[in-house]
Amino acid sequence: MAAAAVYGAGGAMKGGKLGMEGAVDMQLNRIRITLSSKNVKNLEKVCADLVKGAKAKELRVKGPVRIPTKVLHITTRKSPCGEGTNTWDRFEFRIHKRVIDLISSPEVVKQITSITIEPGVEVEVTIADV
Amino acid sequence: MAGRGGRKPRNFATFRLFPRAGAADPNDRVFVRVDHNDYNVPGFADEDSFDSNFTADAADLHSSASGPLPEHVRREILELGFPDDGYNYLFHLRELRPAADAASSFVPSSTARPEPLPLDVKAYDASRVRVAPSADDLDEGKTMCKVAAKTAPLRRVQRAVDPDVARLLDESDFSHAGSEDEGLEEDFVIMANQAEGDDEVEEEDEELGNGIFSDVEEEEEFEDEPKPRVRRLLDEQFDLLALEEYGDSDDDDDRGGRDGDYELPREAIDELKLFRDQNGCVDEDYRTPADFVRGKLESTTADEVDESANVMRKCAEYAERYLNEPAEEKEIVLVSESSDESEVWDCETIVSTYSNLDNHPGKIETPGNCRKRFPRVFPGETATTNDLIKLHGKEKLPVDYLPQRKRNGEKEKKVKPAEALNAEKVKKEAHKETKEEKKARKAAVKEEKREARKAKKELKGLYKSETQKAQKVAAVTGPSSIRLM
Repeated sequence: MAAAAVYGAGGAMKGGKLGMEGAVDMQLNRIRITLSSKNVKNLEKVCADLVKGAKAKELRVKGPVRIPTKVLHITTRKSPCGEGTNTWDRFEFRIHKRVIDLISSPEVVKQITSITIEPGVEVEVTIADV
Repeated sequence: MAGRGGRKPRNFATFRLFPRAGAADPNDRVFVRVDHNDYNVPGFADEDSFDSNFTADAADLHSSASGPLPEHVRREILELGFPDDGYNYLFHLRELRPAADAASSFVPSSTARPEPLPLDVKAYDASRVRVAPSADDLDEGKTMCKVAAKTAPLRRVQRAVDPDVARLLDESDFSHAGSEDEGLEEDFVIMANQAEGDDEVEEEDEELGNGIFSDVEEEEEFEDEPKPRVRRLLDEQFDLLALEEYGDSDDDDDRGGRDGDYELPREAIDELKLFRDQNGCVDEDYRTPADFVRGKLESTTADEVDESANVMRKCAEYAERYLNEPAEEKEIVLVSESSDESEVWDCETIVSTYSNLDNHPGKIETPGNCRKRFPRVFPGETATTNDLIKLHGKEKLPVDYLPQRKRNGEKEKKVKPAEALNAEKVKKEAHKETKEEKKARKAAVKEEKREARKAKKELKGLYKSETQKAQKVAAVTGPSSIRLM
């Protein structure tokens, strides 16, 4: 609750700033973009693009927060039958997650996310009140 | 929000990027709302339209379960060629969009060479054959030659393509850039490209169409063609060479081709006739020389009869000669016996001269200790006065008759005479044995067994190589259950 209040205050200030500059009066929201992927390279690229795009539009961006990678292990016997030395395969599946926080209007975010689309990266956008 | 007790107000909306349903391009994604909070975000317009479409299709599906499909859906299904049986086949179709990586779309290349023919198919290009307008004087041989001369065997077959389509495809090859370049397409460019394609076919014609038919005809044919192929010096030389090489055989073949059947020389024919007559027909009965002599069967030539008679006479002569021969003339053949010094035999060879009928070689076996196992004097024989064989122990074995384990020399001697004396005395002694003595006895037995085991292992190790050899032999000769190692 307290945090929300602080944020609210910050948002109001931002709104005021924009009003002084004469920018378009937009509804500002706190937007959290969660990006997850198996592929680090693509993910980092998308993150960088998003942050760059947001900074170009002069939005407040909280840089990509790296959530610890989740590694799913699958350990199976290599053999299809039970015969032979007991060798095991250790497969793993890594999920990388990044979180980017913005404060902007939903339309702008839509623009930004529409530009940078990379296959294999899952994008989730949460929009909340400022 | 106000209604729920104890829960924080959920003033947020979550959207996720999903690939559009039915879209080929995986990058074509739209935002879809994934939570069910009351918070509304009017800005994210994707989901609204998406939802409406989605719900429209869903409505279709739901309706299809109950009643017939809507008209537009039915029409589309029919257009695609699916049967109109009330099932919504569109559900399984997806849009085909030009993907960025073009992995899913296949565009056949027009510049690629067509596949080579399978081995059991032969293809001929008969596009240049001109059917004679006049039906008269249809000399089969000549027409055949002409047709054969003008058809060329092909190694690859191009798919039959509409000439318009082919033209369009060719044009699309040339114009890679924009529409500006289309104006630059000169005739010579097009013709040069076309001529290249034809050149290939012509070359094949030259190479393969040669063999049987003369080159002169082909030369003429080339001159007939409207294609502007310049005769190079190389072509002249090639033709001359070909004429040299194949010119002679050409004449022969031509003659053969025109006459029809090829006649063997007269001498060969006569020989064959003679051969046939001599050997007789298969259909007729079996003939013996005697038949000819006695005249029972027909004979075509007088020679045959004479020959048959001769054969019989000759046989008789030979028989007489061999009968009378040995008595008078005997050739003395000296056979020298082999002496030991001159010839050297080795073991294998000398053994191979012996036969198993006379010789029974012994088998080399592992040095067995089995003989000692059986006692020379069966204690059982002396002990039993009554004709009973006593069985002792858990396994009910005739202990008296079994081979006894080689214990210390003393004990053996002791046991033997003891048993030989009296069975009753043994029983008495067993009663007097105390716990300690029993323990000692058992310990001694254990020790013995341990020693025996050790000795056995040692022995086994010593003779391992022998067992291996024996196993090899047993594997070949003996039953498969024998395992010596």
